[in-house]
Amino acid sequence: MVTLIVKRFGFMIFTMIIVSLILFMLLETELTGDPAARVLGQFSNEEQRELWREQHGYNQPMMLRYVKWLGNFATGNLGESIRFKGPVADVMLPRLWNTAILGFWTFAIMIPLSLVLGILSGMKEGSKLDRAISVFGILTTSVPEFASAVIFSALFVFGLKWLPGTSSMSGGFEFKQLILPAMVLIVYDFGYVARMTRASMAEVMTSQYIRTAVLKGLPYKSVIIKHALRNALIAPFTVIMLQINWLLSGVIVVEFFFAYKGFGALILEASLNNDIALLEACAMVAVCVAVTTQTIADIGYTFLNPRIRFS
Amino acid sequence: MTEKKVHPGVEQMKKSLTDGKCSRREFLRTVTLLGVSATAAYSMAGKILGKNILPDMVSTAFAAQKKGGVLKYGMQVQEMADPATYSWTQKSIVSRHIVEYLVETGPDNITRPALAESWEASDDLKSWTFHLRKGIKWSNGDDFNADDVVFNFTRWLDPKTGSSNMGLFDAMLEETGEKDAKGNPIKRMSKNAVQKVDNHTVKLNLNSPVLSIPENLYNYPTGIVHRNFEKEGGDLSKNPVGTGPYTLTEFRVGELAVLKKRKEPWWGGDVFLDEIRIIDLGEDAGAYLAAIASKQVDVIYNLDLTTLEAAKNIPGIKVVDIPSTQTGVIRMKVNKEPFTDVRVRKAVQMTCDAQRQLDISHQGLGIVAEHHHVAKIHPEYFALPPFKQDIAGAKKLLAEAGYPNGIELTCNVGNTDGVWEQDSVAVLKEDAAKAGINIKMNVMPMAQYWDVWTKAPLSLTSWTHRPLAVMVLGLAYRTGVPWNESSYANPEFDAALTEAESTLDIEQRRVKMEKVEKILQDDAVMVQPFFRSVFTAVRDNVVGFEMHPTRYYRFHKVSLA
Repeated sequence: MVTLIVKRFGFMIFTMIIVSLILFMLLETELTGDPAARVLGQFSNEEQRELWREQHGYNQPMMLRYVKWLGNFATGNLGESIRFKGPVADVMLPRLWNTAILGFWTFAIMIPLSLVLGILSGMKEGSKLDRAISVFGILTTSVPEFASAVIFSALFVFGLKWLPGTSSMSGGFEFKQLILPAMVLIVYDFGYVARMTRASMAEVMTSQYIRTAVLKGLPYKSVIIKHALRNALIAPFTVIMLQINWLLSGVIVVEFFFAYKGFGALILEASLNNDIALLEACAMVAVCVAVTTQTIADIGYTFLNPRIRFS
Repeated sequence: MTEKKVHPGVEQMKKSLTDGKCSRREFLRTVTLLGVSATAAYSMAGKILGKNILPDMVSTAFAAQKKGGVLKYGMQVQEMADPATYSWTQKSIVSRHIVEYLVETGPDNITRPALAESWEASDDLKSWTFHLRKGIKWSNGDDFNADDVVFNFTRWLDPKTGSSNMGLFDAMLEETGEKDAKGNPIKRMSKNAVQKVDNHTVKLNLNSPVLSIPENLYNYPTGIVHRNFEKEGGDLSKNPVGTGPYTLTEFRVGELAVLKKRKEPWWGGDVFLDEIRIIDLGEDAGAYLAAIASKQVDVIYNLDLTTLEAAKNIPGIKVVDIPSTQTGVIRMKVNKEPFTDVRVRKAVQMTCDAQRQLDISHQGLGIVAEHHHVAKIHPEYFALPPFKQDIAGAKKLLAEAGYPNGIELTCNVGNTDGVWEQDSVAVLKEDAAKAGINIKMNVMPMAQYWDVWTKAPLSLTSWTHRPLAVMVLGLAYRTGVPWNESSYANPEFDAALTEAESTLDIEQRRVKMEKVEKILQDDAVMVQPFFRSVFTAVRDNVVGFEMHPTRYYRFHKVSLA
């Protein structure tokens, strides 16, 4: 077990190094234009740019720059943001926190909802309830976020006038402003998780041991809770862990639409404004989150499924 | 000021108005530029026209306004360190409440005194004397005086600052004898161009006559910062020292700016709002509409064309608009292939159907233009023969230029003022294709566009409103100025423009503009199909808000119902 965890962590670090190398090549080299011109602006002359390159070590060999850059990253020195005129960490952390709040509420509602509906649906495959949940799930998942955002806005902001139209939280945190962005995310994602749960549950329900349990006269409730659920939840567990990654990128559309000042909107702003240091930091954070959740999912999976652990 | 010495041009203008040669608006604009106060100008016009003319900005209306409250204003919050290097109006809207200008051009295009209480021009329009208002204090307690003004001019006209004001005050520059990488002469401020006469008087000495000096002083990068601005860090957002009625208490790029009313009384009189909150709602036009519809903001910077109809149907929201000379210029870089050949440029220009452009890309809201960046609403506009689309002529020119089988071009567009920009290029693409010119559209993000706007061979740039045509022509087409995005360099044009700039009489100036417009149109520097109207949305609890053609909003005199 320890070997497995060590292996997983080793793999995680290896992935991050590879991604960092790609990021460095794409953003810190001349491949995407002169970094000096980006920082100093369009009226800067060649002399000023050369001076800037000299001061910021852009004239050093590439490998040396990469190692230094990685070292800076590891020690938390993420550089200065061009657009925000301040340290990247100061800009990024509050945004990350905002997205975490949005993510928390999305998950807190979406996961119980999709698990319960998925299980109900999978318990009796082909029943009316199953059909209804499945159709609803497919319908909501097939409407892209930008479309559901427009539909919900039209309904709740312009039509019923129940909810605020944007979620910039400029006057401090207000739960009301969180409803629409969270709703869009929940509606989009719930169908997917529910359908995965349903498939898993349905498969378990057709297995021999469930039939045996039912035939030997155990109460149906006990069959479901004690025997079926444990196995049925293995697949959704992985899917849910993957949703954390999805959320980090999926949130871009929602945050843009509702002017929510989160991590997704920050990634977009950084890339639209050629804010290299910020973009690098955001990308690295996204990669860290991705590999960490993946590693946790892998390890968790082995706990839930002994067959993996012992093979 | 008028008691001291009345500029002879004022008499000339009075005669023009009496003879019906200039409009009331042109009269008011010109005589106020020459140092006559707005009230006196309105009274003169009233006497000549035999009717009582009320100023467009009625100060007595303020008496009924309520004090206090927080105005929420939706606009992108950008970094705003140095007012001299601003290239976005939005930055100046935040800073305009902190640092002020020597003069102020109102929504009626009339320029009025601000930090300068009066000014006079010499008869030859080559020297301008500004009398600064006494008793104004900076927020750090210092007196506002001539040193501040001299410091600002010196800074603007130093090439190291990189300010677009260099193009605006070209008549105060001299050549250093050196040339930049592109071969254009490097300029610096001429000796004695700005002179401190006494503690509250500054004189500008120009190399050539310029009429629009006061108007230039309200161009958005000319906010007057404190004389120690650079010594104290050169960042207004970190050290918001100003003469204005508000101070910056919170500032987060991309999120929020909070302006709070200063405790000391403001030299300009009553200030109604306690606080102005500028809320960044990102780049999505829909978000601004949603925010104003749900009362999250009271005013927005811009109502996008795509949301105009929706806004009109929302109760509680007023759509306000004003004609302007804002425009999209599809300019061709004359020193980059294939646009080094005037025939290619002309061919592209000839394919344009301006009316169709206006109808399709801007819902017909605006006025048709003629590819020389002078609008019919500019006072000095000279009507050239109508410019018509000529596909056959374009094909012929293209063949002569060595492209008998057509040509492939790429046009960059950043939608910096809305998606109508992209639509405008799309219409040109359709029209040009008829002459064998295949334009590939390269739509790029807003901020990225500003990295290429002076570099790309072909691209659409949105230019803001300027009350006089000579102002924008001097900024955009004079040889070697920083904002000359087409790299156009024509001494004949420069000379013609200088001559027009130095002519006070409207009739004579208009005649001189014929040459300016003709050279620019014939040299086919740009395809410029139309000037657009500008509009925004305001909630009906906002009192005293005036739409400004350049969107130079000030909320000093705005209150909440």
